[in-house]
Amino acid sequence: MRAGSNLENVLRSGAFAVTGELGPPKSGDMEVVRKKARILKGHVDAVNITDCQTAIVRMSSLTAGLIALSEGVEPIMQMTCRDRNRIGMQADILGASALGIKNLLCLTGDHQKFGNHPQAKGVFDMDSIQLLQMVKGMRDDKRFQCGEEIKTGEPRLFLGCAANPFADPFEFRPVRLAKKADAGADFVQTQIIYNIEKFEKFMEMVRDLGVHERCFILAGVTPPKSLGMARYMKKFVPGLDVTDDVIQRLQDAKDQKEEGIDICVDIIRRVREIPGVAGIHVMAIEWEEAVPEIVKRAGLSERPAMQGGEPVLASASSIKEAVEKARKDGRIELEGELEKVKAEAHASRDLLAKEKQKVASEISGLKKQIEEARSMVSRKEAEIGRLTKELQKAKETVVEAGRRGSPVGETTQPALQVRSEGVTSGASCALSHREQQVLSSLNKGLVALKEVLGLSDAQFEAVRRFLEAEFMLQFSTSVRQTMEAPPEGGHLAEEIEPAAEVSAVVPAPEAETVEVEEKPQRPKEVVNLVAQGSVALHSKDYGKAVKAFKKALEIAPDDKKAQEGLEEARNALAKEKEAADKAVKPKEVQGLPPCPDEIDSEEWKRKWVIRFTAMGNVALMKGDYEAAKKEFQKALELDPACEKARAGLHRSENGQDIFVPDVMAEGAVPAPAEEDKEVEEKTQGPAVEKPDREKPAPALEAEEAPAEEVSRSESKVEISAPSGEGVIELDVAPLPKDEPPLEERARGIPEEIYKEPCSGVIQSVTIGDGDKAITVGGESALPFYAFEGEIPNLPRTAFEVLDSAPGEWPECLLRHYADVINDSAAWARKCVNEFGAQAICLSLDSTDPNGANVSSADAAQVARKVIEAVDVPIILWGCGNAEKDTETLREVTSLVENRNICIGPLTDANYRTLGATAMAFQYPVVAATPIDVNLAKQLNILLENLGVHLDHILMDPSIGAVGYGLEYTYSVMERIRLAALTQQDEKLSPPIICNLGREVWKAKETRLPTDAELGDQEKRGVLMEAITASTLLLAGGELAVMRHPKAINLTNVLVEGML
Amino acid sequence: MIIAERKPMKELLEMVSNVRRLLVVGCRGCVAVCSAGGDKEVSILSAALRLGVKKAGGEIEIDQDTLVRQCDPEYIDPLNDRASKYDAVLSMACGVGVNFVADRCPDVNVLPALNTTFYGANLSSGEWKEMCAGCGACVLHLTGGLCPVARCAKSLSNGPCGGSQGGKCEINPDVDCVWQKIYDRLSGMDRKEELRQIMPIRDWTTSGHGGPRRRIREDLLP
Repeated sequence: MRAGSNLENVLRSGAFAVTGELGPPKSGDMEVVRKKARILKGHVDAVNITDCQTAIVRMSSLTAGLIALSEGVEPIMQMTCRDRNRIGMQADILGASALGIKNLLCLTGDHQKFGNHPQAKGVFDMDSIQLLQMVKGMRDDKRFQCGEEIKTGEPRLFLGCAANPFADPFEFRPVRLAKKADAGADFVQTQIIYNIEKFEKFMEMVRDLGVHERCFILAGVTPPKSLGMARYMKKFVPGLDVTDDVIQRLQDAKDQKEEGIDICVDIIRRVREIPGVAGIHVMAIEWEEAVPEIVKRAGLSERPAMQGGEPVLASASSIKEAVEKARKDGRIELEGELEKVKAEAHASRDLLAKEKQKVASEISGLKKQIEEARSMVSRKEAEIGRLTKELQKAKETVVEAGRRGSPVGETTQPALQVRSEGVTSGASCALSHREQQVLSSLNKGLVALKEVLGLSDAQFEAVRRFLEAEFMLQFSTSVRQTMEAPPEGGHLAEEIEPAAEVSAVVPAPEAETVEVEEKPQRPKEVVNLVAQGSVALHSKDYGKAVKAFKKALEIAPDDKKAQEGLEEARNALAKEKEAADKAVKPKEVQGLPPCPDEIDSEEWKRKWVIRFTAMGNVALMKGDYEAAKKEFQKALELDPACEKARAGLHRSENGQDIFVPDVMAEGAVPAPAEEDKEVEEKTQGPAVEKPDREKPAPALEAEEAPAEEVSRSESKVEISAPSGEGVIELDVAPLPKDEPPLEERARGIPEEIYKEPCSGVIQSVTIGDGDKAITVGGESALPFYAFEGEIPNLPRTAFEVLDSAPGEWPECLLRHYADVINDSAAWARKCVNEFGAQAICLSLDSTDPNGANVSSADAAQVARKVIEAVDVPIILWGCGNAEKDTETLREVTSLVENRNICIGPLTDANYRTLGATAMAFQYPVVAATPIDVNLAKQLNILLENLGVHLDHILMDPSIGAVGYGLEYTYSVMERIRLAALTQQDEKLSPPIICNLGREVWKAKETRLPTDAELGDQEKRGVLMEAITASTLLLAGGELAVMRHPKAINLTNVLVEGML
Repeated sequence: MIIAERKPMKELLEMVSNVRRLLVVGCRGCVAVCSAGGDKEVSILSAALRLGVKKAGGEIEIDQDTLVRQCDPEYIDPLNDRASKYDAVLSMACGVGVNFVADRCPDVNVLPALNTTFYGANLSSGEWKEMCAGCGACVLHLTGGLCPVARCAKSLSNGPCGGSQGGKCEINPDVDCVWQKIYDRLSGMDRKEELRQIMPIRDWTTSGHGGPRRRIREDLLP
């Protein structure tokens, strides 16, 4: 044994050792180390405590090692040569050894360049091999590096080193390890192994050198926490060989962490098979939690019992235990003291009661004497009266005698006067003198009593005061009533009477005495009752006092004394109650305060159960689970069947907050469990708000999803599918609304930061008649920027209907109209009735002189039919030949003059004639220009000059489908819109119409059949059309002319979802 | 050879900001060879300083001279007599020269124009590399003539650390791992067994950690 460390014991016993790694924190927070140590405890034989790994300043290895040791985890202190010279290192080694560190891993250390202090001066006084030599010399030769002897207490350390089998030159690596073994390494931990083949080769060479026989080899492993980490290690950590296989496994894994652990376990299993491997070193960098799992899965969770670790520091749990114990002991002691004091108080109270009784009997004796004295006094008064009379008589006699001429009387008179005065005054104060005598003798008796009974001053004072009061009272009210025995102290005497309170009430009876004497007209009964009340008051029987005063007031409602007394008694009662309430806390261990007389004990108990439960709930609300737990436990002690308390206890133990019901009155009790459940559901409510909106999949997703998912929708439109291809679901579920609104989400941010309101307004143009008319435009904000301004009208879609059977429509589009293609009116009706068209755009394609060249008159007839067939707004779209269009559209207008149709396209070639027509009928017109802001503006100006108002113009800037110049269209439209809104360019303010269906459905992508690469043709076409439409609406389009019903639905849903 | 490089102009201009009359003195020793402080560099620097000071709105008179060496008394001592004409002397020698002037010329306010960087060799025109640390305890016979003290980032004595990869040092892919080179060289000479020997812990007193170094040869003393 070199050091007798646990690791050494395990390794020498031949067991397969497991070591872990603990990175100290970048702070002085001891808890971090303790926590990590506790995670690793019992799962590893020892733990490396890194020494400022990657040259980043952290808590020192020695300190963190000691903390780990205190938690029962054996540390392997790491020591690098980077930061200390031989003086500092040897000093730390001595200190570590003194404090119970038994393993030392000797490293050169990462270069300071990699750390957070790259400007530091690297010390590198020696390298790791020389460090091993030095420590070995200290341990085995008991000499410092300089050769000086270590006289006592040489460091006993089990020495380790590191080896990197994957660094270059590979052939030298085993040699270098052999050097380390020679220098004194008892064990070695390798760099993280992923490339097992290479490690096997390394081990073979190591075995050839016989190193495995001199030195225990622990294979280093690390669970890759994520693909990112593995890639990082592969790329950036020098000397770390992460294999492609590992990367691949992580890439394919569903749960990368799980896979990381599995990879690590697989590596452990494999390296364990390699001869010479004595253990593993698991480095779960900032992922200590993974270690127990890895060890378990690798079948290594049975760790030998720890030997040799004697912590110098106390562990957190042992400190806690000690504190708890001291606290408990203290409490027991205090409780004992309290009991003792209470017993004493009880004893003295009993004594006091006895004394009171004794004194009371004495008083009654004294009363008799007083009575006698009184009667004597009255007798004397009578005598005095008689004497006065005699004196008077004598005077008269004298006067008479004087009158007769004798001067003698003159001298006697004054003398007699003086005397008589003396007698009267003597008579009036003889009573109080007598009283005082009685009192003083009473006092003397009491003092004697005090000495005999050994009463304290306070007790004595209380007795004395009491008697005094009693005496005065009895005396002043003629002592008629039989004095009631002094109230049994009972529960009220629980508290020792504060002397101050007693003395405070003393003056009252004195004043009362005077008053009673002055107001003899008060009914005797009242006086007696008041006196009773006062006595009860003084003996602190407030309940009785209240009763007495009340009775007195019944007889004499105006009696001031009784009123005052009642008030005082009530106040005192309230105070007492308050004191009792307050007393609950300190008395919590002793059970309940005594039950008042007027309540039976069961009732009292129930009240307290409610009270404790309520207090527990209050604590729960505050989040003080410990306190809550105590309260609930107390409630349960009183009533183990209390459901509410039990539920509360459960919550407090699980750290659940209580939900506060609307009313939480005192005594109102915690919500029962069922109620809670409901409440929980309620609180979860906001998360699943508007389930009806969220349930259906969002539009585009639905489109991409297989049809069966969408087909759940209820109002399904049946479409006759002529071919055997999959039926497309036309309906689109609405989008969830943007909730909560922006104002709410942006609360706290000043509006001007996110709002950039526009100063211009787009014209609003109305097409159609009656309630089916649609208005587009009118907004004062950029498309869909509803938070910046008004968007009174939604962008709209129109179904395109042709005036003749379409020649080039792909089948997947055509089949939706297959039954009506030869009848434009029916077609339009189908669009309205079946697909819910908001508007119809009738394309008069057949009039094209380069195509079918149908005559204007015939075309006009078709148009008339269509217009008459439906009541939604109609847009008549010519063939694009200016001349022919003029002719045709004029023809139509003559047929349908009373309908507000929209006609177009008007170009610079025919705007005059058509503009004039439109103006005559007040038709809105489509002003078409070839993708150019200036041309668009110019045409608007020309039309305006002609007399067409801007609110009768829809601009067609010419558009391209996605993939066919959409971005060009987009930027032109955007510029038009910005000019109108932000530069108030009125000439560009008309709304924009986008005839996009024709553009999309002539694109090659919509025409190529379904195949594996491009997918379903119809879906493709629909998406192209919907995306083109939504993009153009985002650029500023207000009216989109489209073809496929599904694409139109998608677009409408998007618009409604966004506005 | 001692390798040096001129300090940044900004630093030099600050250094001479209060100087009205300046003498720029070069050295025809090492710094001339490594193109840091010879005749040519003295001219360039003088011109640059004149321009720089003028541009900053200052005034300066600059004279220039280049000594044979600035590390021998006979070339330096005359500076004492010339010093009264100048507010400062800007030495374009290595740190040795600056120190020597300061030591021997009490009246001369000597300023350094160069940062002295290392003992190195000229790999090719414009490239120099550190080869020696002047540690005073040469081990080159053990390492195939390649110095681990000067050329290993951690000055390791016993072979490459775990950061050696593909012949390069982990601190910078432009830096060769000298231990890889040593290993290759000794392997080529069939001497790699020597690397099994543990090189004992070093005595750094000779490398300056024992205080400023000095060498005396009795036989040459005057």
